[in-house]
Amino acid sequence: MRLTRLLTFRSIRSRSLRFLLSAFGIVLGVAGLLAIRSTNQAALGSISTLFQNTSGLAKLTVTSSAVDEAGFSEDILSSIQKLDKIKVIDPMVTIRTDLADKERSQELDIGLFGTSDGGLLLHGVVPALEQMTRNYKLVNGRFLSDDLKEREIVLVETYAEDEEIVVGDLIKIITPNGDKELKVVGLIARDGPGQTNNGSFGVIPIQAAQEMFNRSDNLDQIDIVPENSNPSTAELSALRVELQERIGKEYSVTYPSGQGERMTQMLQNYQIGLNFMSGIALFVGAFLIYNAFAMTVIERTREFGVLRTIGMSRSQVMGQVFIEASMLGVIGAGLGVVLGIFLARGLTRLMEVILNQQIDNVLVSSPDIMFSFLLGIGITFLAAGLPAIQAGRISPIEALRVRGKSKEGWIIRYGWIIGILLLGGSVFLLVLNPFPYDVQFRLGSITVFGLFTGATLLIPVTVGVWEIMVRPLMKWIYGASGSLGSRNVRRSRSRTTLTVAALMVGVAMVIMVRGMTESFSGDLKTWINAYLGGDIYVTSTVRLRNDVGNRIQSLDGVAAVTPIRYFNVDWKTPTGETETINFMAMDVTAYTQVTDFVFSGNTVDPQQAIENLKKGQTVFISSVLAEKYGLSLGNTVSLKSRGGYKDFLVVGIVVDFYNQGLVVQGDWETMRRYFNIRDASTFLVKVDEGQSVEQVQGVIDDLYGKRYHLNLISNETIRKSVVTLMDQAFSMFDVMALISIVVGSLGVINTLTMSVIERTQEIGMLRAIGTTRGQIIKMVLAEAALMGVIGGILGLGTGIVLARILFIGMTTMSGYQLTFVLPPEAIGISLVMALVISQIAAIPPAIRAARVRILEAVQYE
Amino acid sequence: MSVLEAKEVRKQYKMGEHLVNALDGVDFQVEKGEFVAIMGPSGSGKSTLLHLLGGLDGPTEGNIILAGQPLARLSERKATLVRRHNVGFVFQFFNLLPTLSAEENILLPVIIDGKDQRKYKERLNSLLELVGLTDRRHHKPDQLSGGEQQRVAIARALVTEPAILLADEPTGNLDSKTGTLIMELLNRSCNELDQTVIVVTHDAKAAAYADRVIFLRDGVIVEELKPPKSMPLAERLRGIMGTMEKLEA
Repeated sequence: MRLTRLLTFRSIRSRSLRFLLSAFGIVLGVAGLLAIRSTNQAALGSISTLFQNTSGLAKLTVTSSAVDEAGFSEDILSSIQKLDKIKVIDPMVTIRTDLADKERSQELDIGLFGTSDGGLLLHGVVPALEQMTRNYKLVNGRFLSDDLKEREIVLVETYAEDEEIVVGDLIKIITPNGDKELKVVGLIARDGPGQTNNGSFGVIPIQAAQEMFNRSDNLDQIDIVPENSNPSTAELSALRVELQERIGKEYSVTYPSGQGERMTQMLQNYQIGLNFMSGIALFVGAFLIYNAFAMTVIERTREFGVLRTIGMSRSQVMGQVFIEASMLGVIGAGLGVVLGIFLARGLTRLMEVILNQQIDNVLVSSPDIMFSFLLGIGITFLAAGLPAIQAGRISPIEALRVRGKSKEGWIIRYGWIIGILLLGGSVFLLVLNPFPYDVQFRLGSITVFGLFTGATLLIPVTVGVWEIMVRPLMKWIYGASGSLGSRNVRRSRSRTTLTVAALMVGVAMVIMVRGMTESFSGDLKTWINAYLGGDIYVTSTVRLRNDVGNRIQSLDGVAAVTPIRYFNVDWKTPTGETETINFMAMDVTAYTQVTDFVFSGNTVDPQQAIENLKKGQTVFISSVLAEKYGLSLGNTVSLKSRGGYKDFLVVGIVVDFYNQGLVVQGDWETMRRYFNIRDASTFLVKVDEGQSVEQVQGVIDDLYGKRYHLNLISNETIRKSVVTLMDQAFSMFDVMALISIVVGSLGVINTLTMSVIERTQEIGMLRAIGTTRGQIIKMVLAEAALMGVIGGILGLGTGIVLARILFIGMTTMSGYQLTFVLPPEAIGISLVMALVISQIAAIPPAIRAARVRILEAVQYE
Repeated sequence: MSVLEAKEVRKQYKMGEHLVNALDGVDFQVEKGEFVAIMGPSGSGKSTLLHLLGGLDGPTEGNIILAGQPLARLSERKATLVRRHNVGFVFQFFNLLPTLSAEENILLPVIIDGKDQRKYKERLNSLLELVGLTDRRHHKPDQLSGGEQQRVAIARALVTEPAILLADEPTGNLDSKTGTLIMELLNRSCNELDQTVIVVTHDAKAAAYADRVIFLRDGVIVEELKPPKSMPLAERLRGIMGTMEKLEA
């Protein structure tokens, strides 16, 4: 302990800055890991509890299996009632509407899962039954009375506050029969069922709903609460089968909680990227620690040599290094946990924006804290291990005889063999791709480490070659001092290697993040431009009749209008499962006048494909579906139409990320004929050439805005908000890249400071024989620049490969077929960046070198 | 004609709270082509004097005139340029750049000055011949012995034909045989190249090669020996050792 106090504590104190910097690496790694882990869990948890809460005690839900959204007859209730084991049969009518005198929105809420128009969702219910199914927390007034025809409503408290509604008010809502009044009798908490539709939600008596919205004797959904409130999976499954058999194929019986699963699945794609990044952040943290410890050991070579001479054992020396490591680990991981908890909060807010979904407060669980904490300490130990062993191996005589010059280890001399093997192995795994799907991605993560480590191990043997190649450039920039500085990188190859590797990781991260962002946003932007084609986006909180489109079409200044309708449809996948996907129907002729289809690849003649789509019973499928299920032109997809499953011929493959790409496109006629849907979700309006978009938007709004409850938004506005959303989603990746860059520059500072300390005498001599301070500074800058060049080039190479790994991983996992775009300027930027970082980071050590006192230095032994 | 002139040079250092007079009024001149040795016990101020003569440090009072240029109160940059063009340094620990070959190390002052190295080809060859390293010109410092490294350092100090060559204990890190060779080399550069050389040493044997020996004690010149050129080395050595004993007594 005394030894520790004398040696380790003092060593830490005298190198407190480096100690803090290395702790910083671990802090960031641990914080990132913990925050991402917790946020993911909170997001997933929120989504599933949301579905659990909003479905209450209902374990099964009956809906119509037709997709026309017309609902089904109440008669079915009687046949369900004949079943025993059921406690509550809770019928419901679902209505989308809005307050009649509400300011019409000029904004569209956009999230990762699509758009929300912010309208009011109403459930028409039987109050007694509904209260047995769901636990409404009344905060004001009373719940609905048992009179099913009473025009009254219970709203969510937060919604009422936003709309300045209090209990006792009469509110007007939009109905097909004009605006109708309802009396607000109570408010419920935004909790449990109050979370439905993000809180824009209310309940009204079922018959009142049916009357006001022309839904006589018609239901949308029946929730089933079984006798056994906590049935086993088998029991529930048996009940489901029994119920399904009784009511027939026209109805589907589903588990309400299952709805959350799809959302969760969607979220996973995003999380893959984040997890991958947090892994790399930890790797980078470990790297920083290794770097710092290796430096410390080089710096203390003489000290350790003396200690060994006076009788300290190898293990004692190693022990001292490990004690320092464990202190660093505990402090770093501890701070990391604290930072992680705060970071998780911030990340959650960001996630809320991205998902357009409220997430419950993050609960950072103690196992997670423990895990990240221990991982942080473990990694610190691992990273400090090699330097510790090196410290133990310092020979007393050598250390005393030659200042700071340690023998180059076998890793420096023979590491390239392992390096080549690792690189070869990684490339082999990548090309061969022996484990497709899930495993492949984990393998991808391994290859990341293989690549980084392999490339790092190749640096020592190639440093000479690099130096000779780049020296003329250094000479050109920095003159004679450039040439001197350039040669210096060959002197301590291990140290040069560490710095170059740090820069390499930084640049690779930037390349990867930029490449991914560019590729993703490139595809996404093409699609958004097509998807939000035209100039004005017309939507409504109530159903849009198709003739609204015709009316808009007839206005002056309007070039074309296309209706678009999205609806969910069951699809029998080629693997035999049933999946709910999205059907996007449009008037193909009008659509091509307003915007363009974005075909994936060059497999099809666009004109021909569009003609084929008009023929009917044909679809375009998204590239995501094509990739995920290996579908191509000429195949068929089996969709559940009103007459049961029908095959639709695939006549085109399009880029479409709507609903995470789980979407098919078809003609308006096809929709009418096979799915019996006639209304539109949105209209895309194209304005005549030369016409002002605002003006036309104003005309439409004045004429039809109020009448049809239209929300008119210029597509420019939406595109901007989508791009903002995308940027927000990608900003997390940028943060990770930034961390790597910081680490890279810390590496440069570390290395050069070490070099300057080590070469004090030499610098003194150079100054003595007439080298100016400026020349000394240039010399150090040249050394840094050379490392920057090597790190930049290697980083570029590994970055491209890494980005590809991530792409392959994401394509296999999600089916996103992304076009890998590496913007040429990114190559330039990353190289320039490596150079600039190296130069900025080299300034402090360069100044230190220039300030070397000649007198002290030349006597410095 | 004097190449170097020290006028009433004083140098004070602060050691903690005390002021130490390292040099306390030193006055002397050095003629072109002269070989001067500065001797004295530890703490006599001989290294301080050498640093002041080479423009590595400035005097507190007085002045030093090197090749007609006063060194006191020169800016840092001007002092650097004076060193670059007028002073050649030889250190105890050779101080060669490990990344450069012998030849490149010799040319280092030329490289630093941004001059065309090719113009120095002849000079380089004659220096390599002078120091006897023509066949080892491409070797790196770690492939050379201590004596060879010091010879490279001497060639480096001579390459720009400086007004003075200052050597700080040039034999201090060498065995006596190699030390003798180095001193003979400095002597030759004096005689053959008409180079002014000033050596600081506490080694009487090394000092015996000088035309003149200046003895310092407590920062002042206490004695000067100027044996005639014809006096044999052994006799000079006796004279020097006698003076040293007298001073240390």
